[in-house]
Amino acid sequence: RTVCVACLLLCVSAISAFSQSLDSDFTFTLPAGRKECFFQTMKKDASLEIEYQVLDGASLDVDFYLQSPSGHVIATDYRKSDGVHAVETEEGDYMFCFDNTFSAVSEKVIFFELILDNMGDGEESEDWKAYVQGADLLDMKLEDIMDTINRVKSRLGKSLQIQALLRAFEARDRNLQESNYERVNLWSCTNLVVMVIVSGVQVYLLRSLFDDKRKTCT
Amino acid sequence: YGLMLLFAWLSPSQALYFHIGETEKKCFIEEIPDETMVIGTYKTQLWDKQTGSFLPSTPGLGMHVEIKDPDAKVIILSRQYGSDGRFTFTSHTPGEHQICLHSNSTKMALFAGGKLRVHLDIQVGEHTNNYPEIAAKDKLTELQLRVRQLLDQVEQIQKEQNYQRYREERFRMTSESTNQRVLWWSIAQTFILIITGIWQMRHLKSFFEAKKLV
Repeated sequence: RTVCVACLLLCVSAISAFSQSLDSDFTFTLPAGRKECFFQTMKKDASLEIEYQVLDGASLDVDFYLQSPSGHVIATDYRKSDGVHAVETEEGDYMFCFDNTFSAVSEKVIFFELILDNMGDGEESEDWKAYVQGADLLDMKLEDIMDTINRVKSRLGKSLQIQALLRAFEARDRNLQESNYERVNLWSCTNLVVMVIVSGVQVYLLRSLFDDKRKTCT
Repeated sequence: YGLMLLFAWLSPSQALYFHIGETEKKCFIEEIPDETMVIGTYKTQLWDKQTGSFLPSTPGLGMHVEIKDPDAKVIILSRQYGSDGRFTFTSHTPGEHQICLHSNSTKMALFAGGKLRVHLDIQVGEHTNNYPEIAAKDKLTELQLRVRQLLDQVEQIQKEQNYQRYREERFRMTSESTNQRVLWWSIAQTFILIITGIWQMRHLKSFFEAKKLV
């Protein structure tokens, strides 16, 4: 019984040695002429990575800046379409803002992803280990299996993150293409209408010139 | 068990937060495949002018949560929640779902300086699974639970890939349609110009002949 518990503890420590990475992504609409700011509370010596992309809206660019808890601006981007910033953090609230004030008419759709590392609360979300029922028959083979499984899990997690990124790229291309399509439709119709009107007006003007002359002559 | 659930509720304070004005509506877009569960947790804090900081929690303050599906016409959820809340929905069509939050308070400007801090966390797909619950319900050993987690992750990846294929197809259709329209319009435009030119010449020629100028 005590051997089982000891081996279970060994497994738990082996698992928590591999650091927990939390990430969240958000997509939102930034209206024209507005600035939106978000905050993230960080612990000391953790790492924060922000990756953003502009998915839709006219010139597909936005201003960005990241500010540390002490008010010091760590990173700025002017009118960029996408960007990534990683920073080793101190204790406090980090603020990052997306600025669309340079554009008066077009709203932007912005996707951003936050990847937090070494936040030190990995143990909290691994609590499920305490609630599993039964005990595996433990020997060295099991540890190897657990090791492999953990590696597979972290790689799959990474795959999901990359998928989110690819999805953002694809969304941007799709939005671009759809606005191209609408633009082609609009200008073709306008073109048609203008051509017909112009040709009608030309003919009418020429005729009216001659009619007036005839009237004044007689 | 209670502690675990408590942790699940406290975690939004570790999440992203932003400030929202009184009449302001903040919307987030989630592009998800179909049959995917989404759980959002939020926590609100009111600015206290007296102490110059945010109160830990405020009873009586609520957030109005509105969720629209990709067709933008069907509102899945339009509900009022308390100051700390949790909303859940499962998508039935793939696409961009919109989650909008706004405060239901009208007295905020009077005694709060109009500032409300909202902590928000949105979990999608396999992140929504509650593993302690699953372990207890199915009586799983640690190894079995780990393998179940892997299976859920792979299933999510597969769903996303299917959705990706559907989106790429739509994208390709739009591209081809645009391409075709550009081609046909150019041809049509050339014809219209030629025909208009011929008609103008004929009409004016007969007009001048009628007026005995030519």
